[in-house]
Amino acid sequence: MARMTPGHNERGELFSAYLDGELTRDEVALVGDMLDGDEDAIAEFHAIREVRATLRLLPEFEVPAALLPDGHLGDRLSAYLDGELVSLEYRRVSRHLVDCPECRAELAELDRARIAVRSLPGVDTGMTGEIPVLPARKRRRGLIAGGIAATAAAAVLVLGLGIGGADAPVYSLDDLAARHVARASAEPASAVLPAMIEVSAP
Amino acid sequence: MFSQLWGSMTEEFKPTWEDVAQRYGRKIYNFAYRLTGNPDDAADLVQEVLLRVRRGLSSYEPGSFDGWLWRITRNAFLDGVRKKQRRPESALPEGDHIMLGASPSPDEVLASVRLSDDVQSALLKLPYEFREAVVLCDVVGLTYDEIAQAADVPVGTVRSRIHRGRKMLREMLTWPV
Ligand SMILES: [Zn+2]
Repeated sequence: MARMTPGHNERGELFSAYLDGELTRDEVALVGDMLDGDEDAIAEFHAIREVRATLRLLPEFEVPAALLPDGHLGDRLSAYLDGELVSLEYRRVSRHLVDCPECRAELAELDRARIAVRSLPGVDTGMTGEIPVLPARKRRRGLIAGGIAATAAAAVLVLGLGIGGADAPVYSLDDLAARHVARASAEPASAVLPAMIEVSAP
Repeated sequence: MFSQLWGSMTEEFKPTWEDVAQRYGRKIYNFAYRLTGNPDDAADLVQEVLLRVRRGLSSYEPGSFDGWLWRITRNAFLDGVRKKQRRPESALPEGDHIMLGASPSPDEVLASVRLSDDVQSALLKLPYEFREAVVLCDVVGLTYDEIAQAADVPVGTVRSRIHRGRKMLREMLTWPV
């Protein structure tokens, strides 16, 4: 950009940008020269400063709280049950569930509703009530080591299904959706929801 | 401004849409409020922007987060304006201010409301690109660089728009001595 002797407009623009801290060192020096003993320039400078200050002192409105997420999981719970979350969000949801009894309770509610819908009669599943137990996924390895870094190892949240003791199968949650379908249709009366949700030890 | 708050975090950390909502929701709301003078439009914009952020975050490359976010915000705002132009116009509401901060005296509140009403209606008279530049600079607190990225114009244009916008406001507003 060619630096010419500033006209009136250019002068005001320099003052404005000066107040915003957006000038180069050369331009700042130029502003200093312009203001040196020039009443006109000084008046213009003050006028610009006043407008700027007025704008910046406008009161800030509070954004209605309903527009912002409340920190709980909300509609992601259903997506979670349905296995529809992408990995980043899935990990966050899992982590939140570990810490938040409210969302765990809501998840349980949703799960019951989901089962109720899915176990509506009329579909012959051909199943007998025995659910084949699939081996736990290999992602069991590298579980939480305390810290966000470890969450790269996918599912940090593991469900003990509350069947039997120490030998109870362990499912990672993203298997859950598939399991729900099978199990809900086979055993309409029983909830699949785990008795406990735990973060497995490293 | 916000890049300072976020600091180096933006370099390697991708915020989630909840982070964005918590950190920027109020700024986005105030941006739209000052551009339109209308709380309903401001609320609509916050929702629309958060939706777009949610959809767009996966393709966001760590860099100038403010530039990215405010470009989305601006586009959402302009899309909303276009949509609205096809519908019958509703009148701009007056006042309806929710004041923040420490509680000033009733006189101060009154004077300040009256003054900010004047400033608000003057803002609404500015041609869009000047209003936008001034609001992004003085209400939202962006740097010229960030505004240039958001509005997709050179920094020199931003500088000139901000100045001309302020100049027009100065002419519209009469200042108490
Ligand atoms: Zn919660």
